[in-house]
Amino acid sequence: MTKHLWERLLEAKSRLEPVQSKYRVLFEDPATPDEPAKVLVPDPNWMAAALAGDILPPIDTYQRDRLVPDGEPKEHPYSEPIGAMTEEEAIEYLVMKDIDPAVWRDYKGNRTIMKIVPVEMIPSDRSFRNAWRIAQ
Amino acid sequence: MSTLNVSNITDGTDTVGTGYVLNGSDKAWINFNGTGTVAIRESLNMSSLTDAGVGVYYNNLTSNMLTANYCTVMSASDAYPDIGNCIALLTDAGAMTTARFGIVNINETTGSYFDSSRICTSAKGDLA
Repeated sequence: MTKHLWERLLEAKSRLEPVQSKYRVLFEDPATPDEPAKVLVPDPNWMAAALAGDILPPIDTYQRDRLVPDGEPKEHPYSEPIGAMTEEEAIEYLVMKDIDPAVWRDYKGNRTIMKIVPVEMIPSDRSFRNAWRIAQ
Repeated sequence: MSTLNVSNITDGTDTVGTGYVLNGSDKAWINFNGTGTVAIRESLNMSSLTDAGVGVYYNNLTSNMLTANYCTVMSASDAYPDIGNCIALLTDAGAMTTARFGIVNINETTGSYFDSSRICTSAKGDLA
């Protein structure tokens, strides 16, 4: 029987070195156009697990679990883990997992509302953080 | 990895059910830098952090919680002692789901949102 995902994460944390991603995902939520651009920061332990393989569940299990009501059994914790990903594949997986589909799948407008960028392109000066927008 | 399958743990005097130990442990936690280029220092069961603006962040879980009624604990450091303490709070309850929860970090003196150099959160409750 497949171990629970949380147990696999605990075990992975004890043996894998964290990996700081060289990417960030910039996105704007079309449902809240007045809010500043958001920045998705990959977790180093999660990235290590994605690169190692045999820990994380298939992405489609998370997508199906979005439709499962609270309190009902979810599919992703006990799904058979997938193999190793490249860092680029891991970022795409993370986009589909942690960003609303309204941003990466359903948006039909003309603005660019999501970009995967090297971490160096994110300003470290946050003086005007709440005015950040994705350059068009 | 070997597994101990026991109902209780005892030190010879006091006994506690393993269910209490498991239910009382953190199912997820994170320590991150909310200043400069936001970065995660250490964590468990987090897939990513969303930097949503000054003092506003969302923690995204890898292994989701069973319901959205789990418990979160938060704290934040004050990067500049001369401008007051900071308080990390849960964002509106509507933003709390089985897969993520939000944090707002507020400067106690000014009442405005603030980026702290050290923000820590954890979540307790039942996993899905």
